[in-house]
Amino acid sequence: MSKITVAGVRGSVKELLDYSENTKKRNFLETVELQIGLKNYDTQRDKRFSGTVKLPQVPRPNMTICVFGDAHDVDRAKHIGVDAMSVDDLKKLNKNKKLIKKLAKKYNAFIASEVLIKQVPRLLGPQLSKAGKFPTPVSHADDLYGKITEVKSTIKFQLKKVLCLAVAVGNVGMDEDQLVTQIMIASNFLVSLLKKHWQNVGSLVIKSSMGPSFRIY
Amino acid sequence: MPKRRRAALLPSNIALLQNLIRRDPGSYKEEFLVQYRHYATQKEILATNPSGFHDTEAFLDQIGFIAQVCTCYPSETKEYPEDLADLLKAHHSVLPVELREKIVQSLVLLRNRGIISSERLIQVIFPLLTTTNSKTFRKDIYTTLVRILKNANRNTKAPKLNRTVQTLLFTLLESTDGPAAAPDGLWAAKLARELWRRSIWDDPRTVEIMKQAALHGNTKVAIAGVSFFLGVDREREKAERKKRGLADDDDSSNASSDDENDDKPQIAGIKHRMGINKKTGKRARKLEAAMRSLKKKEKGASLPTQLNFSAIHLLHDPQGFAERLFSQTLSRSSGNKFTLEQRIQILNLVSRLIGVHKLSVLGLYSYLLKYLTPKQRNVTQFMAATAQASHDLVPPDVLSPVIRKIADEFVSDGVAAEVAAAGLNTIREILTRNPLAIEADLLQDLTAYKGSKSKSVMMAARSLIGLYREVAPDMLSRKDRGKIASMEMSAAAAAGEVKKLRFGVENVVEGIPGLELLEKWRKEQGLDKDDEDAVPKDAEDDDDAWDIDVSDSEDSDSGWIDMESDVEYNVSDEEDDADGNTDAGEDLSDDDSDKEQEAEVNQPTKRVKTEDALQTLMATKILTPADFQKLDELRTKAGLDKILHGGKAASATTHEDTVDATSLLGPKSGKADKAERLAAVMEGRQDRQFGPKKGKKDSQPHSTTNKEKARKKNFIMMIHKRDVQGKSKKSLRDKQKVLRAHVERQKKSKKKH
Repeated sequence: MSKITVAGVRGSVKELLDYSENTKKRNFLETVELQIGLKNYDTQRDKRFSGTVKLPQVPRPNMTICVFGDAHDVDRAKHIGVDAMSVDDLKKLNKNKKLIKKLAKKYNAFIASEVLIKQVPRLLGPQLSKAGKFPTPVSHADDLYGKITEVKSTIKFQLKKVLCLAVAVGNVGMDEDQLVTQIMIASNFLVSLLKKHWQNVGSLVIKSSMGPSFRIY
Repeated sequence: MPKRRRAALLPSNIALLQNLIRRDPGSYKEEFLVQYRHYATQKEILATNPSGFHDTEAFLDQIGFIAQVCTCYPSETKEYPEDLADLLKAHHSVLPVELREKIVQSLVLLRNRGIISSERLIQVIFPLLTTTNSKTFRKDIYTTLVRILKNANRNTKAPKLNRTVQTLLFTLLESTDGPAAAPDGLWAAKLARELWRRSIWDDPRTVEIMKQAALHGNTKVAIAGVSFFLGVDREREKAERKKRGLADDDDSSNASSDDENDDKPQIAGIKHRMGINKKTGKRARKLEAAMRSLKKKEKGASLPTQLNFSAIHLLHDPQGFAERLFSQTLSRSSGNKFTLEQRIQILNLVSRLIGVHKLSVLGLYSYLLKYLTPKQRNVTQFMAATAQASHDLVPPDVLSPVIRKIADEFVSDGVAAEVAAAGLNTIREILTRNPLAIEADLLQDLTAYKGSKSKSVMMAARSLIGLYREVAPDMLSRKDRGKIASMEMSAAAAAGEVKKLRFGVENVVEGIPGLELLEKWRKEQGLDKDDEDAVPKDAEDDDDAWDIDVSDSEDSDSGWIDMESDVEYNVSDEEDDADGNTDAGEDLSDDDSDKEQEAEVNQPTKRVKTEDALQTLMATKILTPADFQKLDELRTKAGLDKILHGGKAASATTHEDTVDATSLLGPKSGKADKAERLAAVMEGRQDRQFGPKKGKKDSQPHSTTNKEKARKKNFIMMIHKRDVQGKSKKSLRDKQKVLRAHVERQKKSKKKH
């Protein structure tokens, strides 16, 4: 496909939603993913890009988040109903690689209070940042709930060694307009990150967790 | 009867027998068996008394002969390869040199014939690499090993063979490690490095071997491993480039694939000729082949080399490696096994690992403190390592003592200018990677050196200012902030969102920078429609917007940018400021004039805050290539690019970059010395060719010259020409002159050759 149009995206989204709602409905909330294939990009020569963009909707509401906090933040987290760990809990991990890995696997994202975040590398080592899950700082003045939704609705594009990447942009619970908006923001942002913009994009594909894929570019 | 005569000769003439057996194995079986028995007895004699063995030559011939023909008698020669292997294994140290060589040769031959596997061959000869005492034999084995692996991996990778060899190398390294570590492991490191350099091996297992080597107890082996990680990728790239260059030369022999530039016209030419000349199948095939090769080349150019990653990136457990390397080799408890140069090398690797993988080896920073004094030998290398080892996830309270120490030791009034410059540059390099590691007051002390008399110090201080203008202008003193940064600050304060540097917030792009400019431009152009019904009319359905000229979009930066004539642009870069006498404050201090410009710059900065407005464009419209081109253009125009990228130094560096120790010293002042001047001259001369062009011209293929044609012309046709007739009619004096000139010429040409 030589170009991408809003109408085309809308059509693909319609088909995608139709499949996962009418043809074969699943027992869970399917996530809609944007898969990107790049071209003319040398991951060794060219700089590997990374960027984050905030979407208007939360693509994955079931994302698990853990708060590393001092007493105040732990209380706040418990109040909201989010898992929280204090410094002592972290110290209990005792820099044990396996435990830290397990912790990093258990949650999708982490938030840490500002006073604590500087100790995170000391307590947990490089494991979290290696997994791309280094905590986001939150201060006492910030609204913790707002911060959590912000973290949840932020998507990250990070090119690794291979020329393809995928991000969750929404779920099938969203309506068509919302999904189109999410996809457009994500793809526009991604293209803006690339050095030669559209000339670097090989393909754009949207796909729900269990459904077929729809090529939009 | 000729055959009988031949048969009589056979026992002594092995070469003849070999030839005959090749043609007809069945009927010469008896003769072969005679030879084989002879060989067997010889071998027994050799085995009982290897040092006293004399009849080497005949035995050599027999070994070679049997190796050549043993495909014809597989059942009779079943034990032959094993015999050779045993012989080699047991007596390699006492065997005569030629016999040893012959045995290895025969084994290689057997492998080529498919009688023994490559694995078996390597298992036989690999142990000899470390056990033999002979240097030449070792070298032979080494080249044989490399060749076997190269051939096995030529078309497709041979994972099984590679794995067995890698296991051998592993065990070699492991077995030699320990308290009394032997340097035998060096061969493993050497082999792995060579294979990596030739891109025969490029998998993580190789890297693991080298990791093992780097942690080896023997100093030599350890340094071999370390230098592999530091230098091998550049080496490999060089080798690859060389190979590619050679491949191009090979290609040039067949007409279809030449240089990139030549390809297209050639195809056009062939096509043209196809249209005019007789259409033959041969020509059509030629065209097809040319097209195919062109396509292949294009495809090859666009295909990134996926496996072509540096060894450091392929490491399995970088944290563990860095920690072990640091504790085993560098920390005080391990004793000083290594010389200073070696320690620097190791330190360099550790810091590269930390920087690339964002590791936390917190002991390193306090270790470095000891070495960061101006009097330390090779201090710049230590400083470079310090800078490499810092990244944004190092806790600031670990790094700040390092910075404090550098500031105290290097940057003070009592020290020489280059020392201060080196200190400031190092601090800058550290802070680019971790801007939180310094307190505001120390930073302001350091930036006060912007007024230094020495150019290098002044530039270093300025680059520090440039860096902090971008990342945290609030930490600079008010005077140093500069106009744009301070305006941004005040705008942010007015909007109530003060951007402060926070630990753990990764420095990544958020949103599309400059999008608001595009939106504004679109509004001005009347392109923006609120409702989506207008979309089909919009630019994105326009094919023109997608098919913009490639070359156009590539160098849009260099295109014309309209400048407003009444606005003063300060284009000069801080680093490029040639005359060192200019007051640093001149272009750094805010000039409050030029309100117009201020207003213009202010507008977009305010717009940044209205995120929703921004997102509407992103959400409703797909940005076309044309849009992006415009966006780039607008961004450049608004000078936003400069803000975005700050100074030169701030933009380019990431945590993965290496720090060059010499660059920390800053630019050299004063005249270049003689060595430098000479180097510059030599560099200029590199591609130029001196001397007569006569020989070179002739050596290239060319058509017959007129001179050659004249020389070869039939004499009968020339005999009545005036040129020829005139010769005999010349006066004696003229004849003499010509003769003398000829003799002279001959002499000269003889002297040359």
